[in-house]
Amino acid sequence: MRDSTLKYLLVAPAVLVVFATAIWPLIESLRLSFTVGRLNRPDSLNQYLGWENFTWAFTQEPAFWNSVWVTAIYTVLTVGLTTVLALGLALLLAPGGKFRSGVQTLLILPFAMSPALIGVSFRFMFNPEFGLFDAFFGVMIPPLADVSWLSDPVLAFAVCVMADVWGWIPFLTLVLIGGLASVPQDTIEAAQVDGASGWRVFRDVTLPQLAPVLAVVIILKSIFSLKTFDQIFMLTNGGPGTATQTLSHYIYFNGMKYGQIGYAASVAWLMVIPMIFLTYAYAKYVFRKE
Amino acid sequence: MSVAPMPDPEEFGRNPRQGLSGRQKKQIVRSVQVILILIATFIMLVPIAWIFLAAFKNHLDVYTLKIFFKPTLENFSLVFQEPYTLGEKLVNSTIVAFFTVLFAIPIATMAAYSFSRFRLVGETAMLVTILATQFVPAVVIILPFFVMFRDVGLLDTRLGLILVNLAIVMPFAIWMIKGFIDGIPLDTEEAAMVDGSSRAQVIRNIVLPMAAPGLLTAGIFCFIIAWNEFLFALILTNKDAVTLPIGLALFKAEEGDLWNLLSAAGIIIMVPMFVLALLIRKYFVQGMTMGAVR
Amino acid sequence: MAEVILKNLTKRWGDFIGVDDQSLSIADREFLVLLGPSGCGKTTTMRMIAGLEEPTSGEIWIGDRKVNDDLPKDRDVAMVFQNYGLYPHMTIFDNIAYPLKVRGTPKSEIAPRVEKAAAQVELSQFLDRKPKALSGGQRQRVALARAIVRTPKVFLMDEPLSNLDAKLRVTMRAELKHLSRELKITTVYVTHDQIEAMTLADRVAVMKNGVIQQLGTPDEIYNDPANLFVAGFIGSPAMNLINGSIQNGHFVTTGGTRLVPVEAADRASVVLGVRADDMRVSEAGEGDIDVRIYAFENTGEATLLTVQWGKQRVIAKGDRHLRKDQDDVVSISLNHDHLYLFDPDSGNRIAG
Repeated sequence: MRDSTLKYLLVAPAVLVVFATAIWPLIESLRLSFTVGRLNRPDSLNQYLGWENFTWAFTQEPAFWNSVWVTAIYTVLTVGLTTVLALGLALLLAPGGKFRSGVQTLLILPFAMSPALIGVSFRFMFNPEFGLFDAFFGVMIPPLADVSWLSDPVLAFAVCVMADVWGWIPFLTLVLIGGLASVPQDTIEAAQVDGASGWRVFRDVTLPQLAPVLAVVIILKSIFSLKTFDQIFMLTNGGPGTATQTLSHYIYFNGMKYGQIGYAASVAWLMVIPMIFLTYAYAKYVFRKE
Repeated sequence: MSVAPMPDPEEFGRNPRQGLSGRQKKQIVRSVQVILILIATFIMLVPIAWIFLAAFKNHLDVYTLKIFFKPTLENFSLVFQEPYTLGEKLVNSTIVAFFTVLFAIPIATMAAYSFSRFRLVGETAMLVTILATQFVPAVVIILPFFVMFRDVGLLDTRLGLILVNLAIVMPFAIWMIKGFIDGIPLDTEEAAMVDGSSRAQVIRNIVLPMAAPGLLTAGIFCFIIAWNEFLFALILTNKDAVTLPIGLALFKAEEGDLWNLLSAAGIIIMVPMFVLALLIRKYFVQGMTMGAVR
Repeated sequence: MAEVILKNLTKRWGDFIGVDDQSLSIADREFLVLLGPSGCGKTTTMRMIAGLEEPTSGEIWIGDRKVNDDLPKDRDVAMVFQNYGLYPHMTIFDNIAYPLKVRGTPKSEIAPRVEKAAAQVELSQFLDRKPKALSGGQRQRVALARAIVRTPKVFLMDEPLSNLDAKLRVTMRAELKHLSRELKITTVYVTHDQIEAMTLADRVAVMKNGVIQQLGTPDEIYNDPANLFVAGFIGSPAMNLINGSIQNGHFVTTGGTRLVPVEAADRASVVLGVRADDMRVSEAGEGDIDVRIYAFENTGEATLLTVQWGKQRVIAKGDRHLRKDQDDVVSISLNHDHLYLFDPDSGNRIAG
């Protein structure tokens, strides 16, 4: 068989799978977002409403805006904190040697924990009676000793952020360590000989050359933060009330618990919009010419 | 050899600068760094360690902060009995993850080879789309799947789960394997074709053996993803096809969660993944970023 | 005053010894070349002077100051790296200005000094470009400009010419020589290219396996090699080294041919060194010994004859107009004033 035919045949199954499992649902989701879409009334899935679901979300649903707000702050906080902490840890671990590589290997472990498991684990540790972290913070910051973390909106939110940052630091650190390694040693030594102190070398020489990798890291983490569901579900289930209800959780709740699939689909598609921008930015880095 | 006479250090006196020398400063910095690394490592490992401890505590100790206690294995046997029957869930998880990988890897490899070696019309568009599906929130995809599965009777089946897991896993698989194949030099293939092999033979006899470590790595990576997958399993299963991560939600009793059992279940979920992750640690970064960071 | 003095300097990594207890004294304004093959310790030595590598033991003095504990930035040295080490995200102007900026030079002073350095390396029109827009030779000159923009105590250069193509290397060598004369700053220059060493150095330290084999002027190294290694390393083509013995005051090859009278005691085994250009080629029968040509090469500026001498092969340089062919027989005469004798076991020079 000729190469020219073979190459398309080789790609076909994969394209088919992607189409069936990802593209089709996306399109179908879009269609559903224009319908009444109640799970318990099958014919409602073909009853068209025009833009009503969308306008309802924007104008009549404070819970929608709440989840937008929650998701936005959550994303900003987790991306910012994780990036800064991961950069710090990467700088500490980059120089190499047996001790540091050993630690790098250990870093894989938290990452192999699924977000759901992390959620459970943190819920355990912040339990007001026997939680390890609850006790720890109670000792460190006395006013917090009698507080029930997961019952307070702000504190519960803080716990969610902490769990997320904890779970993602290992991965981001490993990526940044790779990035640091790709900064040519020459440029750093030249700066040292030129007279720059450690901090100036970092600011003037290392950081600018690390910028592309940092951008990738920030974009990727932003995407993951926006999508977050598993962890929130197992940690707080959106609570207390809706204090930690991210968009994903809001969609799940409305779609599956309340059975309003049409509405849920419309919110889901609203979520896709920022994703498009982020994906475009990310793709530029993947396809960059060397 | 002509070498000038050495100057006598006494003549020039001690270093005139006050304060710490450059080398001493370096040593202090180094010590501080080690302390910080130790603190960070401790923080990263404590939650894991704590769950490990909890899994071996009996149902009284687990509600305490004890570090020294009498360990017990009964949690591990309890979770496999009624009503939790973790054993079934374990089987489900294994089957779903295994078959997901079984289907995904060959399909991904074929496509990866083609993308790597050939120029196709619309190649960039296809690759970008494959990349983009990874960034779509699962909630967007799940709703139509639920409706469709309900209609065709795929709800609460392992087959259904395998199908949706394919959706998640394919982009990673394609990108990882493509990365590996890109790294295999063309020379060997071209030499074989000049010697008379057909393209298909080349793929079978040369590329596959050389890419085998890469395929294995991608397979393990996808296995981990499918094993830990949560949202789809949550929505699409009920009784029969429940996987391990969802099984965690079962450990509620009237008084609250049964943390000792939960921890034991957690370990059963975690430990295989630790082992697998350590196996492929070299390729982690490459895999997760799908080629944006090399 | 900017002498550089190394005292019993050693660098060891585990079992591997990079620099082995070496002492060296470099005078103020001297251009010293560290010459040797890869792995001989020359770059390690220089990096220790810069402060990029910590010595295992020994002392390093720059001027009147022991600098062992000083960070590179406090040693007041400037360095040109083999791969230039330019800052890719800064313009050429900022690259050259960086050493000044980082040491707190007032802004008003920076611009004129940068422009002067750029003019000295003929890069004035590239100041607002970035490194990736420049060719290899241009980048190298930027690295040079960045080094000369200050007036450091010492210049350190790590094989700066080795990444340039052959023709460019020759022109840059001349420019370096010219610049170094103008600037008059103590310089330590590392290279594996013996022509660079010969043309640029005031003195050369030939190194092998972490030990300085010989320290001397280019003239001394060329005409008065201290041992087999130095003799074989310097000169192109390499010096011919012939095995034999001394009997009755004459050098006799292992094949038994009696060659030349030498002023040394009789000994059982010895190595005779003679350079290709100290051998005269003439027609068969006219010289010291008749030999068969193994290969004839015409380089344009001379001819090189590889001749079979019993069991050994030897290279002689002939006039550029000479034309001979493989398997022809010619006669070789040795210049008796330029013969070197070496002990085969220790490699040291005996006499000659």
